[in-house]
Amino acid sequence: MSSDFYTTFILPYSGIIIKICRAYTNTQEDFEDYYQEVCLHIWRSHASFREQSEWSTWVYRISLNVCLTLLKKKKKHNFVSNSLPEEAIEDSRSFVDESLNQLYQAIRQLSDVDRAVIMLYLEEKSYQEIAEIIGTNPNNIGVRIKRIKERLKKLLDEKVN
Amino acid sequence: MKKSIETIWKEGFLKNDPLVAPKLNNLYSQKSIDIVDKFRRMYKINRVAILAFAFIILPLSFLVKIPYMGIGMFVLFNILAAIAQKFSRSLNKLDKTESSYQYLISFDNWVKEMVSTNTKLSRFLYPYVFITMTGGFWFGSIGGDIPGNTFLNHFIERFPDSYLVLGFPLILLVVAFTIISLLAYFGGQIGNFDLNLVYGRILKKLDEMLADMDELTA
Repeated sequence: MSSDFYTTFILPYSGIIIKICRAYTNTQEDFEDYYQEVCLHIWRSHASFREQSEWSTWVYRISLNVCLTLLKKKKKHNFVSNSLPEEAIEDSRSFVDESLNQLYQAIRQLSDVDRAVIMLYLEEKSYQEIAEIIGTNPNNIGVRIKRIKERLKKLLDEKVN
Repeated sequence: MKKSIETIWKEGFLKNDPLVAPKLNNLYSQKSIDIVDKFRRMYKINRVAILAFAFIILPLSFLVKIPYMGIGMFVLFNILAAIAQKFSRSLNKLDKTESSYQYLISFDNWVKEMVSTNTKLSRFLYPYVFITMTGGFWFGSIGGDIPGNTFLNHFIERFPDSYLVLGFPLILLVVAFTIISLLAYFGGQIGNFDLNLVYGRILKKLDEMLADMDELTA
């Protein structure tokens, strides 16, 4: 991967990748692995980008697909090696803002797909775009987001209390 | 909860330093070690399976009274396991401290050598298996009779005009010789097909990784 490609096509969107990778990992080491893997996938498959959507949408899609795949592999491995489930491991990293830390912790307790949906919603993607990225029907997205937000609110309230 | 999750998200990232992307380095280091380790495990399982099969087939062949086949296969499987053991030793010698690219190239060279040996060996292996199996059944024992003799008697009774060479129908010799020749000719391809069935996926992954790394290092 040339540094030009990285600087032009990945770095401006690294925020998206970082936010998503963080939602699917617990440790800095995993986070860096996931980040590298996403970058590698973007570089490897950029030739197949058809410009039918925005580049950022495409980056979201790849980031989510890679994270979900890696998470699935990790869960399978954890199941075999009898390790703790992903959700049971405390996040070893933290943001300056405590509310954001708590929100991330709550997000990490959601199902894999719900995590993807809420991340896209928080990044102000339209229902249509979310449906496109996730590959579902846009009609169901609104209801799903409402349910996820209620769940997050409950989880955050539990934390405060 | 005082703030909405949307506000926490927005304000949270505003308060934080800009998100710093991790540096990209050694993209393939762990993967290259993983792929070789996975192959090593598969190769070991295969080797153990060959040996186990050799020790199962030998007593079994005596039990069902086709000992020549059992002995022939036992010898063959032991030779195969010994060759695999030799390759396994050289696989273990690959230097993990090399760069991932160099490590994968060394592994790829090892694979090429192993495939080439397998191709050469298969030209003899499949004809040998055919001869051992046919010979084993031919000189075996079913109800006190030798199946080969029984078959030969039936054959000569049915086709009394058969041309015999040293008491053996020429047509059967021609058929056997044709099968052996075909197996020798296509043995390499059959061997490679066999190898692909077991290791095809992992070898394809290796090719893809090497192609990626070639491009990355270009």
